Amino acid sequence: MALPNPAVNKVPTGYKYGWHDPEMKSLHVMKKGLSREVVEEISRIKGEPQWMTDLRLKAFRHFEARPMPTWGGDMSQIDFQDIFYYVTATDKAVQSWDDVPDYIRRTYDRLGIPEAEKKYLAGVGGQYDSEVVYHNIRADLEKQGVIFLGTDEALVKYPEIFREYFGTVIPANDNKLAALNTAVWSGGSFIYVPKGVHVELPLQAYFRINTENMGQFERTLIIADEGSSVHYVEGCTAPAYTTASLHSAVVEIIVKKGARVRYTTIQNWSHNVYNLVTKRAVAYEDAVMEWVDGNLGSRLTMKYPSIYLLGERAHGEVLSIAFAGSDQHQDAGGKVIHAAPNTTSLITSKSISQGTGRTSYRGLIKVYPGCHGSKSTVRCDALILSDDARSDTYPYMEIDEEDVTIGHEATVSKVGSEQLFYLMSRGMNEAEASAMIVNGFIEPIVKELPMEYAVEMNRLIQLQMEGAVG
Amino acid sequence: MPVQAPAALDAATVEHVSLGEPAWLRAQRADWWRRVEANPWPTLAQEEWRRTSLDALPRDGGLLLDPPLATYELDPLLAARGVIFSDLGTAVREHPELVRSHLGHNDTLAAQMPFWGRSLAAWTGGTFLYVPAGVAVDGPLVARTVLPAGAYSYLPHTLVVVEQDASVTLLEEISSPDGDAVWFGGTGDLQVGYGARLRYANLQRLGDGVWRIGAQRVEVGQDANVTTLNAEIGSAISKVGMDVRMTGKGGTSRLLGLLAAGNAQRIDFNSCQDLLGSHTTSDLLYLSALYDESHAAFYGVTRVRPEAKGTSSYQECRNLLLSPKAGAEPIPVLEIETNDILRCGHGATAGAIDPVQRFYAQSRGLSAGAAERMIVRGFFERVVAQIDSEPIKARVLDALAPRIGQTDEVAA
Repeated sequence: MALPNPAVNKVPTGYKYGWHDPEMKSLHVMKKGLSREVVEEISRIKGEPQWMTDLRLKAFRHFEARPMPTWGGDMSQIDFQDIFYYVTATDKAVQSWDDVPDYIRRTYDRLGIPEAEKKYLAGVGGQYDSEVVYHNIRADLEKQGVIFLGTDEALVKYPEIFREYFGTVIPANDNKLAALNTAVWSGGSFIYVPKGVHVELPLQAYFRINTENMGQFERTLIIADEGSSVHYVEGCTAPAYTTASLHSAVVEIIVKKGARVRYTTIQNWSHNVYNLVTKRAVAYEDAVMEWVDGNLGSRLTMKYPSIYLLGERAHGEVLSIAFAGSDQHQDAGGKVIHAAPNTTSLITSKSISQGTGRTSYRGLIKVYPGCHGSKSTVRCDALILSDDARSDTYPYMEIDEEDVTIGHEATVSKVGSEQLFYLMSRGMNEAEASAMIVNGFIEPIVKELPMEYAVEMNRLIQLQMEGAVG
Repeated sequence: MPVQAPAALDAATVEHVSLGEPAWLRAQRADWWRRVEANPWPTLAQEEWRRTSLDALPRDGGLLLDPPLATYELDPLLAARGVIFSDLGTAVREHPELVRSHLGHNDTLAAQMPFWGRSLAAWTGGTFLYVPAGVAVDGPLVARTVLPAGAYSYLPHTLVVVEQDASVTLLEEISSPDGDAVWFGGTGDLQVGYGARLRYANLQRLGDGVWRIGAQRVEVGQDANVTTLNAEIGSAISKVGMDVRMTGKGGTSRLLGLLAAGNAQRIDFNSCQDLLGSHTTSDLLYLSALYDESHAAFYGVTRVRPEAKGTSSYQECRNLLLSPKAGAEPIPVLEIETNDILRCGHGATAGAIDPVQRFYAQSRGLSAGAAERMIVRGFFERVVAQIDSEPIKARVLDALAPRIGQTDEVAA
């Protein structure tokens, strides 16, 4: 499906990940479109157990039965029959970059992944279209029982633990796109951290779409057992095609008693990707769950990472940065459900819109009866950089308990002409001055990122802003 | 016994209501009724109606045909200067052309249109206030209505027209006995002209069986200045949509609310502060004190249009939960379509009384009840202090007293 807006029918300037690998040789390319047969075929190629095939088919029925959401962004251009649901270049994930096909290896080199792995990561996964092509974890962590695998591989190697948790946080019928993901999921990461084990360095997965009209449906499942901790980072890029691709992931996280999980996303899809993702975590007694969610790319993102605080004193945080340039709509936010006493949460959202871009914060704080002592603060700030840009805030709150402290605040502002004047009087040009103000605006979130990502985030925002000011 | 139409609201009732009225009004009522019939009843799928089901709305009580009229007292000197203050029916008889040029021409928020339309088709009461250009009315005008007992529907419409550079303060107070299932569908259309000033207070003390489904539309002209206050004390269900249109350049509006609810009361407001004109200012402050099993929802949208430059707006909704079973859903929405804004934001909170405040008050010798009353009264003070008419302030505090307690009790 060609995108209707002529403005995106050219490769956006400044997007440096927009190349594609023309020499990709596909091992499996399923014909475009979605049907019961396609769902069965994906399951057959993967050689899955019957329960998973059945679950996929059940999810497919849910997908077919449900209407498209009518809220949020404009999804009218998504044609589910004009998408490749399964395209794969290799038949297994390897543990050495030398075994990855050359052209894929070159792509990951250009993205800087093997380099980063050597320097500051505990493990890396790489997904290329539908399948995970590379997966590796440091030997010392493996010895401690940490599992970090492609999700398909985990289903084969650890069927019991997989079946115990898969689909328990986000059921197959949760929403239309989660149902789609459950029906056609492929790839993603599976992480299990045993009791008391702390994974000190981040684990990273890198998601790359290469094929035109591709749908990527990775499925990630993270289980942090009691008293453990882990930080998972994902990055995403895609070629800049003039036709639409779809990324519809499902991420489920279980944070057990006293455990801590941080999940960081730097989403930088090209501007032809519809990014419709369901992410949800459950946090038990004394657990801490943090989502750090940076949305820079995509044509439309609809993503509201959520946390169910199920055990006493559990804590949840969502830090969200969204940047929408021309023809982009970032509909992001976060949800926290307080379902146990003395639970606490913090949502901080910073969004920036420029050109004809639109950012929307959409969030929910819900406190169930009996969850006394719950505290939640939601803080949303939006910066609008141009006259045609737009910013919305939709913060939902449902409070059914008296003994709580719940607050929400939001502001919307522009870059002040006095701020600009001051910086320009110090010798900066307008673009540099605006970029500096924007960097200052997002600083509270960027400082939560690991150093390397913070640098990358600042650089990406600078790229987004180039040529857009003035 | 009040005189009621025989059955639920329908075209025949609307026709019956318009017997003896001028042809233009009969046509207008019929037009509104046609629109009502063409428009669907609200569903729980609509954002503004998600939190209040209308399933149990008492729709079967016949329309109240002979509502008790409020007493409309107006200084003869003001009447001589052209101020008109009466019930709407009287105004239609005495000033048909004036009423005709202002009544029933406006739509309101889509979510409230079914009730706005019903009221404009079937009003049998309501206030008409007209202040001609340049006339300043000192002291508040008061329209106080006491509704009779009985199970009925009553859909009055209030029309306020404040012409250029005029100024006026109006208090509308409505009360009814407890017990009966009543559908009270009062609507208000406040038209405030160039440089005019309006202070409008609505004091709602309806009985505990009443469903109040209301709509208020305010259009704020260039350099006009409007303050509205909704003090909600009574009723079983109160669902009100406020449509605030900042159309004129440089206009200002302050939207104040005091909500004191107990028992199983549900109060559900939706608002839209629509900043259409440049350099307009609109600030909203709604405070709820929620006792027993009461519940307050507030869905408020601030919309800044692309052509509205240099606007200022704030929306604030605070809920004090005074019982373990009370609940609140404050939802302040922003839709900002320009970057040329001076100030824009919102804040919403929900929570119990800070135990430190409670402890402090009790350590000074106040009983637990007196401490709570004082803190609630203090919580409301931010709105009460902005009521600049002393008689209205006293009236509102008096109406709040049964729920939040007397202030002098605190001192005692």
